[in-house]
Amino acid sequence: MSAVDEDEDLEKHSIQLFLLHFLNSVLSESSADSTFPGKMGHSHIMGMNMDMSGGDNSTMPPHHHPTTSSDHSHDHMMMMMPMTFYFGFKNVELLFSGLVINTAGEMAGAFVAVFLLAMFYEGLKIAREGLLRKSQVSIRYNSMPVPGPNGTILMETHKTVGQQMLSFPHLLQTVLHIIQVVISYFLMLIFMTYNGYLCIAVAAGAGTGYFLFSWKKAVVVDITEHCH
Amino acid sequence: MAMHFIFSDEAVLLFDFWSVHSPTGMALSVLVILLLAVLYESIKVGKARLLYQALMNLSIPTSQQLIEAADQDSSSSDSLPVSRSPLRWFLCHFGQSLLHVAQVVVGYFVMLAVMSYNTWIFFGVVLGSGVGYYLAYPLLSMT
Repeated sequence: MSAVDEDEDLEKHSIQLFLLHFLNSVLSESSADSTFPGKMGHSHIMGMNMDMSGGDNSTMPPHHHPTTSSDHSHDHMMMMMPMTFYFGFKNVELLFSGLVINTAGEMAGAFVAVFLLAMFYEGLKIAREGLLRKSQVSIRYNSMPVPGPNGTILMETHKTVGQQMLSFPHLLQTVLHIIQVVISYFLMLIFMTYNGYLCIAVAAGAGTGYFLFSWKKAVVVDITEHCH
Repeated sequence: MAMHFIFSDEAVLLFDFWSVHSPTGMALSVLVILLLAVLYESIKVGKARLLYQALMNLSIPTSQQLIEAADQDSSSSDSLPVSRSPLRWFLCHFGQSLLHVAQVVVGYFVMLAVMSYNTWIFFGVVLGSGVGYYLAYPLLSMT
């Protein structure tokens, strides 16, 4: 069933997160000094009202010290990334070094943005499925002779459903696939901030997107599906 | 936080109160994570089964029946269940969406548990995924 195969993409991405998690920690370690709001001077934040005077260098990210006793030489790394869920909106880094949430209003804006991103991701998945089904109209038949039981020659016909490599639908699918992979990793990284509000936004956006975009999909799957 | 897999009896998983200190606690946590992975696999199968059963209960003809019906007469086949019983379809789809939210949340929880880089937890996730797949996927093709 295509619905289950699509969900295995999430599994694949969750396994590949190790590489991204390593990258994330390496990047956050190197840019640790530039994440405090007091040091930032840019004004091109996308639509968010940055309160430049509100942040100060002594603001620590809202985290809870893990009670494990790992090597103490890595203590400074522990403080940058929270490892348990928390609810807060002070000094919350979001994906990029310029995006830091400091006020409740900014958190509300970030909540809406993440919600819409998760909804868009679900819609993109459904749209790609529909496009794939619509473009798989070219059916090629390959016939080849095979020896039969009595020494006769039988013609065996193979039917292949697929796209050509350089056709426009396949290129469009590839571009959409890249976008889908990028957005899925972004959602994973957002969930990795361990911020309770943002995680709820991801889950709610995914549910709402699934609800809105799969409305008619379920019926189309059953009627036109001829291979499953 | 170590950036490599370690064998350790101490970990903090997901929440502040879930801190493990002892081998017993670690074994219990591995069991819980294993069950979480089994739950993830079964939710995936459950979504597909629920959809199939809902379509059956709402007496929507499958493609097989449509082909047979088309052979007999050329009546217009209304393929949209929305026009037949919209409330029941809405409830079914709403239930499916809730299941999808549960799947997303459980999937991310399992990912965050693996992110603790504890090797026992990782074994629990892998074993749980295997057991969950083994138990749940045969139910997919069951009619």
